[in-house]
Amino acid sequence: MSRTAEVIVVGAGVVGSAIGAELAVLGHDVMIVEQGMPGAAVSGASLACIGSHMVDMEELPLLAWACEAWRTLDEEVGGFEHNPCGQLRFILNEEDLATARAWIDVERNAGLDVTLLDPAEVLEVEPSLTGPIMAASWSKDDAVVNPFLAVRAFLNRARDCGARLETRCRVDSLIEREGKITGVRCATTDMSAEHIVLASGPWTARLAASLGMNLPVRPRKAQCLATVRIPPSIRRVVGACESDGGVEAGYTQIQQSRNGQVLFNTVLADGCVSDGAPDRIPEVDTAFVRDSVEMLLFLFPDLWSAHLLRSWVRFEAVTPDSRFLIGPLGPEGLWVAAGDCGTGFTRAPAIARLIGQMLGGEHPAFDTTLYEPDRFSCERPAST
Amino acid sequence: MKRHYACDIVVVGAGPAGLSAAQAAAEKNLDVVVVDANSHPGGQYYMQPLGAGSVFARSAQVMRGKTRIRGATAAGVKMLLATEVWGAVPGFVLHARDADDAVCIESKVVIAATGAHDRVQAFPGWTLPGVMTPGAAQRLAKTSSVPPGRRTVLAGSGPFLLPVAGAILKAGGTLVEVVEAQSSLLSTLPLLAAHPNKWLETMRLLFPVLAARTRLRFGEVVVAASGEKRVREVELAPLDAEGQPDFARRRVVPDIDSLLVGFGFQPQIELTAVLGCRHHFDEEAGGWCCTVEKDCGATDTSGVFAAGEVCGVNGAVPAALSGRIAGLAAAGHILDEETAFERRTLARSLQRARRFARGLNRRFMPPAGLIGRLPDETVICRCEDVTAGEIRETITEGMDTIHGVKLWTRAGMGPCQARTCGWSLARLVAEETGNSMEAIGFSRPRMPLRPVPLNVVRDSLQQVEE
Repeated sequence: MSRTAEVIVVGAGVVGSAIGAELAVLGHDVMIVEQGMPGAAVSGASLACIGSHMVDMEELPLLAWACEAWRTLDEEVGGFEHNPCGQLRFILNEEDLATARAWIDVERNAGLDVTLLDPAEVLEVEPSLTGPIMAASWSKDDAVVNPFLAVRAFLNRARDCGARLETRCRVDSLIEREGKITGVRCATTDMSAEHIVLASGPWTARLAASLGMNLPVRPRKAQCLATVRIPPSIRRVVGACESDGGVEAGYTQIQQSRNGQVLFNTVLADGCVSDGAPDRIPEVDTAFVRDSVEMLLFLFPDLWSAHLLRSWVRFEAVTPDSRFLIGPLGPEGLWVAAGDCGTGFTRAPAIARLIGQMLGGEHPAFDTTLYEPDRFSCERPAST
Repeated sequence: MKRHYACDIVVVGAGPAGLSAAQAAAEKNLDVVVVDANSHPGGQYYMQPLGAGSVFARSAQVMRGKTRIRGATAAGVKMLLATEVWGAVPGFVLHARDADDAVCIESKVVIAATGAHDRVQAFPGWTLPGVMTPGAAQRLAKTSSVPPGRRTVLAGSGPFLLPVAGAILKAGGTLVEVVEAQSSLLSTLPLLAAHPNKWLETMRLLFPVLAARTRLRFGEVVVAASGEKRVREVELAPLDAEGQPDFARRRVVPDIDSLLVGFGFQPQIELTAVLGCRHHFDEEAGGWCCTVEKDCGATDTSGVFAAGEVCGVNGAVPAALSGRIAGLAAAGHILDEETAFERRTLARSLQRARRFARGLNRRFMPPAGLIGRLPDETVICRCEDVTAGEIRETITEGMDTIHGVKLWTRAGMGPCQARTCGWSLARLVAEETGNSMEAIGFSRPRMPLRPVPLNVVRDSLQQVEE
């Protein structure tokens, strides 16, 4: 197999796979290089909600377009369990109610179908949510996908258009010559390319560091639990209302997968980073398990006898302002698309579109100033 | 409800290794608790009958087990039975359940003596009612004096088939055939010649099978089972020179109602995996084993020791010896006392006993080509209904590890968490990709070690912090 491509995408998570597919569809010669198995690290451990509700007010045009792109992908390709089940965000106190109203105003102005429900209305939408909540916001158009199969769908689309996939191939460093990127160095071989796209999640900073760049993308521990299969009980994605504390205020997400497992997590404190992150995956924290089970049973008391089956941990890539880095980085030909902050699934098609446009010299469809990779002045000193 | 215990050492597993470890540590005047999921101590080897009038009540193995159990109890070991461990937190807190009660055990040291479980092999029809593992059939027979069926075929490979045959006969079952995949037992003779202390045991295992004039067949494997509501017949095929089943020469054994197929055991590494211990692949010892220091049983996680089959499947004698070594070393770890002298003699006996066990394992390795030739429609993962064909498809798309196949097919994601299908899945991926069993990895166990009701989790974790 030839070790040369026009574009090498480093990372076959949902972002890298979507970029690989987009670039291949646009006619580029693409090679996707993955250190492990596709979607097996951060993406596969995600709850893969596709939604624009309470995510980021300034990103609404991109988010809305991305949700639509997922629907189109489902129609055109399918096979990844796209379920337009809608999302409820439960509200437990007056402050969160006020916050929710503010979100809903902005989102409705942007044309999204979001409403505020009282507990009786919530029961109509989600009959088993019998816990004592004050209200909930209801975003009808949000969806979930099967994270593994979504990555698979993107990869199949990429390969149908001629892209190649190299798995179990860890990129150790980037190769630069006279201000231009020329390839990547792996354990056993070098690969050359005109363009390199870093879609490497929490491993992105390590790769950028190989050229002396200091990218503020840090790994953050995210955890999740799953029960055994139970009869259909939870119809929607059920999340906590976005609190004023932002990402530090914690979150809840609860949903039932198509095969019947209840997937859930509640993080009250900011996720901690453990030794060896993101390469060594630790066990879940005891406090996390307790908080998650308590919150699930607070909202869905009838689930007390369901059996817990599995826990898992992943390291999300977090940036200082919780937004992706998308765009050119450092030497000519180097691009970055990383910094999911735990919500990479929704944006993946839009990020792929942006990278496709920027790499092809077109004007980007969305405001890219929000995502400029050097907005934290992370560039290396000009001397090199 | 929540019960709480605090002790110096908690031993998980009350089989030969766990009982020996617990007794050795308790004799050093330490507070020792043994936890076991079964209602009676003894594990698979020293399994105790549930009723007093059982035909097994006075068997030599049961009596020896009783002595072991009495020894541990007399030394002051506390037994928490019918108690299943589902979580383990460094430091250490074990979370367990006794029915719907949460049981929390705090300790300074953990000794994992979690044993092994049957290595299950998939074949067309293996999910039919009446198809079981030999280990399950032995448990049924020895605890409840119930044979697995009226007419049983017992197949697979390894010396374990003999005690299972004996137990089924003793429980009143009929063995239509016992089918060993190896072409003869001649290769075991030099090994036996070198270990005269094993002659008596060998005779004791062979005698009931021979006395019942059980039909013994060699060099054949099960290739399919069929029946409508229950297994009714089994197809067997001889192995050719390459170790592949020769389907042209297959034969059918009709009129059966139970089929047991077993190819030895694999270590139960959930607890040591969750405690972060290192594991290594050792095909002759059953696959992925917890890595320990030979002379003390210490894992690479400080305060966690392991003994018995979890460190490699070697049988009861090495298990008991390694248990005693780990018990002494764990006690020394807490008391800051040197126990190397006591352990040295034990370590020598252990080495010798292991040589014999490894020799046996080597002679009864499962034939290599069984899984690779399974028809596409054969179910591999029964929890999630994943077929060999679906797994092959994901492999052609580039998923050439256990973890990769699991993500795209859900194989190993169900309630058994790959305990049942893990070995067949690994063999299939290895045979299809040409990668080694080591390279394709394993399905990493995570908390909980066994499914546990959410209300038990809640009760268990209340007030853990603050």
